[in-house]
Amino acid sequence: MILTPNILARLVAIVVVGVLLQLGFFSQVAFFHVSPDVLPSLVVVLGLLGGTLTGAVCGFSVGLLLDCLLIVPLGGASLVLIAVGYLAGLFRERFEIHSPLVPPLLCMGLTLFAELGFGAVELMLGLNDATVSPLVIRDLLLKSIFAFFLGWAIYALLRRVLRPALVEEPGARRRPRPQAARPGRRRRPRMMGA
Amino acid sequence: MYRKQVRRRRAALVLLIVGSFALLSVTYGQGSDGVQRGVATIFSPIQSVADRALKPARDLVNWFDETFDAKGKNDRLHTELEEARKEAVGAKSALAENAQLRKLVGLDESGAIPSGYEKVTGRVITRSPTVWFSDVTIDVGSGDGVAVGDPVVTGDGLVGHVSAVAGGSSKVTLIADHSSPVAAKIVPNGAQGILKPSVGDPGDMVLEYLDTEKIVGKGQSVVTSGWRGEGIESRYPPNLPIGKVVEAAITEQEAQHQVHVQPYADLRNLDLVQVLTGGSRG
Repeated sequence: MILTPNILARLVAIVVVGVLLQLGFFSQVAFFHVSPDVLPSLVVVLGLLGGTLTGAVCGFSVGLLLDCLLIVPLGGASLVLIAVGYLAGLFRERFEIHSPLVPPLLCMGLTLFAELGFGAVELMLGLNDATVSPLVIRDLLLKSIFAFFLGWAIYALLRRVLRPALVEEPGARRRPRPQAARPGRRRRPRMMGA
Repeated sequence: MYRKQVRRRRAALVLLIVGSFALLSVTYGQGSDGVQRGVATIFSPIQSVADRALKPARDLVNWFDETFDAKGKNDRLHTELEEARKEAVGAKSALAENAQLRKLVGLDESGAIPSGYEKVTGRVITRSPTVWFSDVTIDVGSGDGVAVGDPVVTGDGLVGHVSAVAGGSSKVTLIADHSSPVAAKIVPNGAQGILKPSVGDPGDMVLEYLDTEKIVGKGQSVVTSGWRGEGIESRYPPNLPIGKVVEAAITEQEAQHQVHVQPYADLRNLDLVQVLTGGSRG
């Protein structure tokens, strides 16, 4: 990802709007009695589009803002979301994204990972001697399934928003079209993200 | 060149992780620090506006969820909900808000809230996204007289207590949070115990450490005990309604000294709440 002040401002806006939407909307709506968690998907998509460093920094920022607004000990959510962003970025750097199903599937898997991570952090900070209901499993699975669909939409949206910064992204640079394609001239292969 | 890039990325990752652990160590158990209070103060007006703007959309989405739920349960309810679809979402939310306010006034008039408390009505503006802890943020804070430890109720009963305050917002830790046990008693037999939540299921709580000589029956009410000892006292005033006993097997009472309680308040769908400020317990 080519980071310019304009793109940086867009990333900050994405993080802030994402956290505010999560707290003000997604956390307060329920499908089958479970609220979707959009933040791991957001971090996964930023990691997929920007790479490990962008993913980890965005994960940290999202977690920090979330903890600040929820007035809980700082760093817990950041720790989990750094890992999520880094893993998504690592996936992009190691593998080609050949199928449109890859981003939503990654969102689904890494949301489950994140929710388990939040549980682990909570255990680390002391879950006292409270019992854990089996309904937690249903919540985690449903959140992951929601993340599949949300990931799809978020990936499509953020690719448009961050298009100027994406290397080799078709349409990234507005070049004048040649009058006529020369015969035998090969077009450059299209890559997603990169 | 590539190696240098990889090394730089790894260094940044290590820095972020160390930073997170450092923040966690510094802020754990401290309540809200200056940075959090500052951020919360800056964002609370934006959150409040966003909350109001998004309310119709939320109501619409929740309406669909409720419709799906109702379909599975009852055909008659399905027909009623089909009719309800024709109603304007804005009008529905206004009616729901009115009902909640009426209930809050009703709880006050019933005498459940002890005298000496000032009631500050607030609206839930954010909610924790994970299942592991149950916190909500409300749009009233220290500027409205809210202080840490103040009990929070809805028209149905107790929902939690204020665990952190900023200028225009407060964090409410719900009774469904694992860090928030409540000293409670059964009405009318007076058996006392500690009410603990079941993480992930706010509709099921366990009243533990019960006196086995007093047999508890299904359907009996559970209220706060509000005890006072030498220098220490319960977080909540006495006799605030909490819920009702839904499962009270004799074997469980005798062997484990516990019964299951369902809270009166719908902890998953909180909107308007009332903070009881001041009071004799300061």
